[in-house]
Amino acid sequence: MNFVALAMLVGDRAKYIGILIGITFASLLITQQSSIFTGIMSRTYAAITDLPTPDVWVMDEKVQYIDDLKPLQDTELYRVRGVEGVEWATPLYKGLLKARLANGNFQSCVVVGVDDATLIGAPIEMVQGRVEDLRQNDAVIVDEHSATGKLARVLPDGSRAPLRVGDALEVNDHRGVVVGICKVSRTFQSQPVIYTTFSRATTFAPRERKLLSFVLAKAKPGVDPHELCARIQRATGLTAHTGEDFKWVTMRYFLKYTGIPINFGMSVLLGFLVGTIIAGQTFFNFTLDNLRHFGALKAMGATNWRLVKMILLQALLVGTIGWALGVGGAAAFGRLTANTELAFRMPWQLLGVSGGAVLIICSISALICIWKVARLEPAIVFKG
Amino acid sequence: MIVKYLIPLLAVLGVVTATRTVIETAQTSTPPPPTVEPARAPFDSYIAAAGIVEASSENVAIAALAPGVIVDVAVRVGARVAKGDALFQVDVRDLQAQLEVERAALAAAQARVERLRALPRIEDVRAAEARLIETQAALAEAREQLALAEAITDPRAMSREERTRRKAAVDTSAARESAAQAALDLQRDGAWGPDLAVAQAEVEQARARAEAVETQIERATVRAPIDGVVLKLNVRAGEYAPAGVLTQPLLVLGAVQVLHVRTDIDENDAWRFEPGARAVAFVRGNREIKANIEFDHVEPYVVPKRSLTGDSTERVDTRVLQAVYRFDPAAMDVYVGQQVDVFVEARPIGGAQ
Amino acid sequence: MSIATTTAVSLRGIKKSYGEGEARVTALRGVDLEVRSGELMMLVGPSGCGKTTLISVIAGILDADEGACSVFGREMHALSGSSKTLWRGATLGFVFQAFNLLPSLTAAENVAVPLLLRDVPRARAVERATEMLARVGLGDRARSRPNQLSGGQQQRVAIARALVHEPKLIVCDEPTSALDHHTGASVMELMREVALGGDRTLIVVTHDARIFSYADRIAAMDDGQVTKVVRSSNEL
Repeated sequence: MNFVALAMLVGDRAKYIGILIGITFASLLITQQSSIFTGIMSRTYAAITDLPTPDVWVMDEKVQYIDDLKPLQDTELYRVRGVEGVEWATPLYKGLLKARLANGNFQSCVVVGVDDATLIGAPIEMVQGRVEDLRQNDAVIVDEHSATGKLARVLPDGSRAPLRVGDALEVNDHRGVVVGICKVSRTFQSQPVIYTTFSRATTFAPRERKLLSFVLAKAKPGVDPHELCARIQRATGLTAHTGEDFKWVTMRYFLKYTGIPINFGMSVLLGFLVGTIIAGQTFFNFTLDNLRHFGALKAMGATNWRLVKMILLQALLVGTIGWALGVGGAAAFGRLTANTELAFRMPWQLLGVSGGAVLIICSISALICIWKVARLEPAIVFKG
Repeated sequence: MIVKYLIPLLAVLGVVTATRTVIETAQTSTPPPPTVEPARAPFDSYIAAAGIVEASSENVAIAALAPGVIVDVAVRVGARVAKGDALFQVDVRDLQAQLEVERAALAAAQARVERLRALPRIEDVRAAEARLIETQAALAEAREQLALAEAITDPRAMSREERTRRKAAVDTSAARESAAQAALDLQRDGAWGPDLAVAQAEVEQARARAEAVETQIERATVRAPIDGVVLKLNVRAGEYAPAGVLTQPLLVLGAVQVLHVRTDIDENDAWRFEPGARAVAFVRGNREIKANIEFDHVEPYVVPKRSLTGDSTERVDTRVLQAVYRFDPAAMDVYVGQQVDVFVEARPIGGAQ
Repeated sequence: MSIATTTAVSLRGIKKSYGEGEARVTALRGVDLEVRSGELMMLVGPSGCGKTTLISVIAGILDADEGACSVFGREMHALSGSSKTLWRGATLGFVFQAFNLLPSLTAAENVAVPLLLRDVPRARAVERATEMLARVGLGDRARSRPNQLSGGQQQRVAIARALVHEPKLIVCDEPTSALDHHTGASVMELMREVALGGDRTLIVVTHDARIFSYADRIAAMDDGQVTKVVRSSNEL
């Protein structure tokens, strides 16, 4: 009987497409909006996930998120190094400095200063040049997006010439020479990211007493990073998070103090409601249209349970296809906009979320129909 | 047909696209191993600190005694020098000129003494003798004339006036003769003793002046105060060398038979520090290069931390205990002034009691 | 086998009414009827006389308020809801006035539906359905869809569907009213030829007087009661 159920559904082309449109719309909107939301959220902690080498981030206890810079004393680096279970620890400078562009404009940039000796904290993916080139005089590495975008030179004819290896730029009145172009995740505020060594970053930075933004530490083999965090906190009085924890700390801050989740939550809810209404309504119409046939089947010996299974199968089919079209559409959207400023990130969980939403939509629609069919008197078939 | 096959096909395509996107999203590029592995402590429980390599004599910043333009640098960077070897020389032409002047003055003073010693001069004596003879002759003549007058008793033959005049002439000639005799005696006696003493004192004074200039010239050549190696040479011939304490010393000298590591230990960790505990220094940039370092001494005065890392501006935000370790330069190939990561074995943090 | 003596359907004092209170409508006021095995019984009468309610009761689709209905010796009121449905699927075949073929299935697939409901594998069900289509003269239209067939052909498909699972009783509701006279006649001929084999019993509800001649017996109904049972239309 399964094929009969499917044939019934697919045979009614208009209704079939109508139901699919409803579910696809819901699935598309939910997946796409959630992906953009996830994308934006992932940008808030991009600086953390871009730096997977250290296990532990050590910072001032008042730091609320990655861009909340409350620098430490230089010697804290050595205190962290002295904590039992720390394999190594390196300094990291992070600051917002002004770069002067060739046309005289100022652009504030995230400047990251990595450990001079080990270059831990340097970008992982290089497009041009090598990380080791950072050891050269005045060397900086800029990210690819800004090299072609915000930091690019504007030529007299209005076109933009991307920043290339060998070009100089002025960071807070200090000269920097681009020795490499790297690939990094976009930051939340889409600022250019400039990498240099820690000591050079401290000369770029305005005179401050404290310049050590973070200490990056690695746990010795066999040492649990969480355990190490607790130990560092006990020993130094500083706050230590694992990379994953720090990511959540950062994200929670943005979730709590910005309206982003509410905005996207509304979109997702709207998609869900509209999808449910379209799909449920059309599915119900479809069932009503086929009530005569369901009656005939019932008369011919189809039990209620069998009819319920048929309806569930139909719901499952449109649900699966609609969901697939929706997530496919959202994924295609994401791929098409991959090179724009739009934040888009689709982890597998989102497929589950939209799948769950579609499941709820289909269940609601199917329940209405099952209720209608179960109450159906097969006697109606004898009335012409 | 379209409905039956195209839609499922699109659905499959959708799932494939979504799956691909999900997989690509999930792919986190694995971090490449750090370009250079950071140093790892060889102890279970330890204090980590920044160290700087210095000469065992500490680094001697050589200063010029007198300011001036440098004419000659006798050593090269890295040269071994013995105590007393000339290092560089400041221009002394003005002093040399002055020395000539002083030497001439000395010669003049000495000449003056010689002249005094050479008196009486024979020609002067003879002239005085001649003068005496001359006055004696004149006296004799005057006496003759007077005798003649006295012999003439005729008051008319000779006036009284004449007679008085001839008497006075005898007195005058006698005085002249006495004066000539005295002049001759003076000549014969030669230089006066006190005069000679003054002249000799002037000679001594001139000699002392000349020697003072010579000392100044000697001081213009700066010499090594210890046996050691020229670690840093900031002077070149033609440059002006000021005297006094300089931020950038003219020349840094150090004894490098044994090297020291000056280690800054955070005051927060100072309670854990035990003099004599084992310690290892790692060269930055290659953790394979390391050396066991031996405790030398600890400077018991906790000083404000001077940022050894990076910027030269002092950031006085914490105080550090400076412990000094020594090691054989053969054990670790480092240069003086190089930073090292130091790990000192210490009791665990939990073991405060 | 003795055809005339076995009773297929036996109805005693069947009463049935719909609705409540003032809206209450009495459809059957005490029907007594006996249908013999192997005969083609027609139920005739004016609209609203209770013909449809009566066959609904016989088919186990409606429960009578009062009276006993026994089909092939089985008391209908003793069967529960779903077992009655399963019994219906095994014992009865239906031919509807509006054919009630599923538009998205082919003729063979439509015919196969009763077999599929009894969990016969699809390939086997379609094979038997195609054989059955050949027996109703539509062997070449097995792959056609209902909208590609004429009314008469559709009703033949419906007859094939009613026969495919070899039921003992076939209930036909106005099988010819949507067809012209000639087609109706050929459908009735087909019914007699193909359906009425063995001890199979047909109950045909109709008010089409032109097909009365195909009946073995005719039960005339009026106002919820069987007024008379005759051998031929001449006796009405």
